[in-house]
Amino acid sequence: MNYSKQVNILDYHSSFDQDTRISYKGPIDEKILQAIGTYIEGVLNKNQKASKKVFKIFIELAQNISYYSAEKNTMKNNKEIGVGMVIISEAEDTYNFMTGNLVKNDDIVSIIEKSEIINSLDREELREYKREQRKLPHSQKGGANIGLIQVALTSSHPLDIEVIPVDDDLSFFSIAVKIDK
Amino acid sequence: MENLEIEGSHKNFFIPSVSFNAKTGICELSGESFLEDTVEFYKPLINWVEDYIELVHGPLALIIRLTYFNTSTSRSILDILNILKDYEESGGEVVINWHFDENDIDMEEDIDDYIIDTGLDINKIPF
Repeated sequence: MNYSKQVNILDYHSSFDQDTRISYKGPIDEKILQAIGTYIEGVLNKNQKASKKVFKIFIELAQNISYYSAEKNTMKNNKEIGVGMVIISEAEDTYNFMTGNLVKNDDIVSIIEKSEIINSLDREELREYKREQRKLPHSQKGGANIGLIQVALTSSHPLDIEVIPVDDDLSFFSIAVKIDK
Repeated sequence: MENLEIEGSHKNFFIPSVSFNAKTGICELSGESFLEDTVEFYKPLINWVEDYIELVHGPLALIIRLTYFNTSTSRSILDILNILKDYEESGGEVVINWHFDENDIDMEEDIDDYIIDTGLDINKIPF
């Protein structure tokens, strides 16, 4: 089997720099949550404060992917799990976190709108926005609709959002966030 | 009325320890909370508190010692606090002690947000 027809592995490899600590693409199931979660707790534990923030951000973004990604894998137990990418890298002063996944074009406007609101607010306003949104009932998936707000609060930096159109139905949605060391 | 006891664990998901005592009215929630199905997990806790208020109608002390919870959990905690606020307003005796790591500024902010949200007197106890 010639895998190179499916994946240009050199391109994939070259797209990461030497600061990359983790790169993953696939279904974000509980085993992956645990594996990456344990990595974060372990390797980053020299800096407990940052490690806790990286972990919190990872959980919220990973859960967003597993719930809302437009790309699903059916696992052995017949559960459908969202597929996406997780990349963690380390720079001199920050840990950098990036996730990406396909989303339906129908959902893009509301995601961008929410992200822009988040980035336009200062910390106190963000907390108020979180309290407002948290009062709404649980979403169908059991989420609280405040994952992205919490990510911005935890990171204390704006969300770096990018949307790349893929076709008539789907776009690729990525979020990059920084966590100060 | 039965007590509610759940042993916590830190595996793929994080299950908090739950110890709700119907005799004393002391309800402890500790550990970490990140669950596969948050609503499903917290439903029995919410039902227990509602039953206690209705059947026992005694003082209730909620002791929280969570070191981590995700946003989905934060919504369920709000549900419990809102029930306690209603109980307090209807004459029930409610005490809430929230223990937190004094270095965890985010957690302290979370507690402050619950105080603003519910109007409850939550005692913040740093450790």
